[in-house]
Amino acid sequence: MPTQRDTPSPDARFSAEAQALLARRRLRFELRELGLVAAGAVPGALLRWQAEVQLGPWLGGAAGANLLVNLVGSFVLGVLAGPIPRRTSLVLWLGIGFCGSLTTFSSWMLDTAGLFQAGHPGSALALVLGSLALGLLAAALGLACSRRLFRRRSEPSA
Amino acid sequence: MADPSLHSALLVAFGAIPGAWLRFRLVNHFEPMVPRKHWATFGVNITACFSLGLITALERACGPRPQLGLLLGVGFLGSFSTFSTFSVELLLAWLAGARRQALALMLGSVLCGLLALSLGLQLGA
Repeated sequence: MPTQRDTPSPDARFSAEAQALLARRRLRFELRELGLVAAGAVPGALLRWQAEVQLGPWLGGAAGANLLVNLVGSFVLGVLAGPIPRRTSLVLWLGIGFCGSLTTFSSWMLDTAGLFQAGHPGSALALVLGSLALGLLAAALGLACSRRLFRRRSEPSA
Repeated sequence: MADPSLHSALLVAFGAIPGAWLRFRLVNHFEPMVPRKHWATFGVNITACFSLGLITALERACGPRPQLGLLLGVGFLGSFSTFSTFSVELLLAWLAGARRQALALMLGSVLCGLLALSLGLQLGA
C-alpha cells in the first residue's frame, strides 16, 4: 500500500500486479471493440460483394453497384453524424464496422481508372463527379433526417 | 470446396475483419497527429488505392486469382478503405465553414487516390 507518497521506488510486486490487471482490462476492452467492429464489417463487406454480384448486371457493372453501396453507406453514416442518442458501441458497430466496410474508396478509384483505360474519359469523369455530388447529397440527407427525427424526440420542451 | 459460394463468403468475411479493424486502429492512432481529423481517413484511403493497384496489376500479370481477389481486394481493401467517412467528413467540414479544407480534401482524395492507384498498377506490372 502506498502509505508514504515520497517513497522513491514503488513496491515492485504491487506494481506488477496492477500492471497485469490493467493489461487484462485493456485486452478485454480491445476484444470488445474488435467484436463490435467485426460484427459490422462482415455483413457490410458481404452486402457490398453481393451487390456487385447480383445487382452489377443491372447497374452497369461493378462501378454502378459500388456507387449504390457508397451512397447507402453515406446516408446511414450521415444519420449517425446527427443528434441521435449516440453510444460508442453503436458508432463502432454501425459506423466504423458496417458503413466503413459497406462503402469503398479504393474500388471507386479502380472503377474510374478502368473507365479511363477503356477509352471512356467522359464516363470516368462522370463517375468521379457524380459520386462526389451524390455522396455529399446522401450524407446531407441522412444528417437532415437524423435532425428532424431525433431533435424532435430528444428536445420536446425546447 | 463443397459449396463455392460459402467458401467465397468466408474469404470476403475473413478479409473484412482485419481490414475494418486496421482502419479503426490507424485512424485512432493518427488522428491526434494530423491538423484535421479527416486527413487520417485520407491516408487510409490512399494506402488502400495503392495496394489495390498493386494487387490488380499482379493479378493481370500472373493470371486471375479469384480467391485472392475476394480475400484481399473485396474483403480486406474494400473494408479498409471507406467512402462513407470521406463523404460525411467532407460534408461536416463544409458545414463548419472550413470550405478550403473541404475542397482540399475532395480534390486531394480523388487526385492522390488515382495517382496512388496508377503507381500501384505501374509497380505491379
